[in-house]
Amino acid sequence: MKRVAKATSRFLRRFWHGVREWCGDAAYESYLRSKGTQQGLCRPLTPAEFYVEQLNRRYSRPNRCC
Amino acid sequence: MKRVFTIVAWIVVALLGAGALGAIAVHRGEPLNAIWFVVAAVCCYSVAFRFYSAFVAAKVLALDDTRATPAERHDDGRDFVPTNKWVLFGHHFAAIAGPGPLVGPTLAAQFGYLPGTLWLIAGAALGGCVQDFVILFFSIRRDGKSLGQMAREEVSERGGFIAQLAVLAIMVILLAVIALVVVNALKSSPWATFTLAMTIPIALLLGVYLRFVRPGRVLEASVMGVALLLFAVVAGQWVAESPSWAHVFTLSGLALTAAIIIYGFSASALPVWLLLAPRDYLSAFIKAGAVFSLAAGILVVRPHVLMPSLTRFVDGTGPVFAGKIFPFCFITIACGAVSGFHSLISSGTTPKMILRESQARFIGYGAMLLESFVGVMAMVAACAMPPGVYFAINSPPAIVGATPEVAASTITGWGFPLQAQTMADTSRAVGEQTLWNRSGGAPSLAVGMAQIFSSTIGGDRLLSIWYHFAIMFEALFILTVLDAGTRVGRFMIQELGGRVWKPFGRRGWMPGILISSAIIVGMWGYFLYQGVIDPLGGINSLWPLFGIGNQLLAAVALVLATTILLKMGRLRWIWVTLLPMIALVTVTMTASYEKIFDANPRLGFLAGANALVAQVTAGKIPAERIVETQRLIFNLRLDAAVTAVLACMVLVLVFEALFQWYSILGRRREAVLHESPYVATRWAESFSGTVHGDD
Repeated sequence: MKRVAKATSRFLRRFWHGVREWCGDAAYESYLRSKGTQQGLCRPLTPAEFYVEQLNRRYSRPNRCC
Repeated sequence: MKRVFTIVAWIVVALLGAGALGAIAVHRGEPLNAIWFVVAAVCCYSVAFRFYSAFVAAKVLALDDTRATPAERHDDGRDFVPTNKWVLFGHHFAAIAGPGPLVGPTLAAQFGYLPGTLWLIAGAALGGCVQDFVILFFSIRRDGKSLGQMAREEVSERGGFIAQLAVLAIMVILLAVIALVVVNALKSSPWATFTLAMTIPIALLLGVYLRFVRPGRVLEASVMGVALLLFAVVAGQWVAESPSWAHVFTLSGLALTAAIIIYGFSASALPVWLLLAPRDYLSAFIKAGAVFSLAAGILVVRPHVLMPSLTRFVDGTGPVFAGKIFPFCFITIACGAVSGFHSLISSGTTPKMILRESQARFIGYGAMLLESFVGVMAMVAACAMPPGVYFAINSPPAIVGATPEVAASTITGWGFPLQAQTMADTSRAVGEQTLWNRSGGAPSLAVGMAQIFSSTIGGDRLLSIWYHFAIMFEALFILTVLDAGTRVGRFMIQELGGRVWKPFGRRGWMPGILISSAIIVGMWGYFLYQGVIDPLGGINSLWPLFGIGNQLLAAVALVLATTILLKMGRLRWIWVTLLPMIALVTVTMTASYEKIFDANPRLGFLAGANALVAQVTAGKIPAERIVETQRLIFNLRLDAAVTAVLACMVLVLVFEALFQWYSILGRRREAVLHESPYVATRWAESFSGTVHGDD
């Protein structure tokens, strides 16, 4: 029983994190953890700067289909 | 023992799929249960994914998991983001799934359920999924390069330029036709118009929240937005029941056209965080929810399919659109089976986020299978309503007659019994003033979805709420494609204009933004306007034009894929992309020829224009309609010219590629591949992406 509860809890946690990644909620965290940012070649963007910058990039190429 | 069990299990799945397909194909008489469609589709997709995609992965492409993908080599947290395969599957599916697989099968249901269903399943497994998969793989091997860049490098400089122009031209037609679907869905419907109008202030509110209050907190903002949207659907009923408010939101086709054009321009020119992005978030959640609810609803309700397997309209005389089953069933289904636009996504964001080459199979091939399944569900929803109602909703008055009684009599005469009172009752039940002549596919799909949803939750009492929820869902994500597409089109025009005059190409230069936005909106806006004033409903001419354009783009992608396979020395397996390419070129060229030159005025653009010219010359057109008729004549000739240009562009690319193939096979030219150099991966075999909180 305990094992089932543990597995369920792990599944739900993974699912929740998956949903956050899918919708873009965790994008800033991914950015901070990326190799490029970790190497510290330039100042990391603030959450607000990163949000606007990534939107500008995402919507400058086909990202929604028919 | 395990191996024997696996073999037996797959034999059972294959037999079950074949049996279900057989039941769909040979069934006559009593209505067929929709569960057969689900079983046939799921079993065929499973077999196709397990065996055919595995064959393509292993033999044709030889995927290599020891090779570092662009996400690993360039990991910058912006474009190149190593992403868990399930999350990326969701991203990719959300990007490729648009209105096409819902509207296309709904329109193709005029031929009966059989041809469309067979093409949805077979076309996806052998064509569409293969295209998405191979283009994704080739883009991974080239650092996530776009289709145009790959065509320029692997086929020819001219080929790349043509591909770029073809994308822009096809995008204009696409945006016009999906806008037309929205206009026809909202016309004379205060409830639907109010609900959709409310999505704009809700999106603006979310945009400000996400920009200034809680930057990037998409999930909490989306939950608030979806709650407000659902409230707007309910509030729409109050608006429709209030005479003064209903009057404000009851708009004609032309008024809606103007509103959508202004909206498209604003979304393109305003900062992306203010309107476009928050609408996209809302759309993604509503889309995912509605698609899975429809699948669950079909499984729970198991409706009977009332449409016959084949209708009399396979001969080309259909009221929804003109043209025989070949090639127009393929052209109309389009995205549900093969979509050229997917190649832009497969060579866009996804290749920059993938962890391993082997995942291209699951994401590229698998996501397209799921999209095809959405198409099958749309076909079931459209065919589950009485055929008479389906034809009443989707046929223009010029064909069925202007009054309900005449139209009902015409449709009954076709062998689909219908009484005018049935349509009045159905309209009242879904809370609409009328459902007659609402071509475009969206209203009939919404009726089908509402009937399935209300059979699951709420019964007849909630039918009108479900109908308007379905309309909101369709219109919301159509407008998301419209505004995102307009913005991308704006960038394309700025890029092309920048070649002539440099400042125009600067993305932040305001006059450039305004002029390029006006150009792209003006182009699709004109086609939209032409569709709205078309006496045959616009869908008759614009949807085939869109289908031709979309399938021609798929042909471009497959030409590129075949060229790369040849350069890779995979001559033995070249049929994997060559055969779908030949099929698509044949289908699209036949359709283009018929749309331009067919002698039937409803089918051939030039014949349609000539018929109108003859009527004007013979004095059969009243003086007050001469100007309007001249405009129709011009529009038909313009459509013929656009079709011819699209077809010619693709033919030039095909001949460029054929010349390349001939040179390579004859050893007159060295086969030079433009892949990124091999770099071994440093990730452990078990690495599955950085899912936060789980590592």
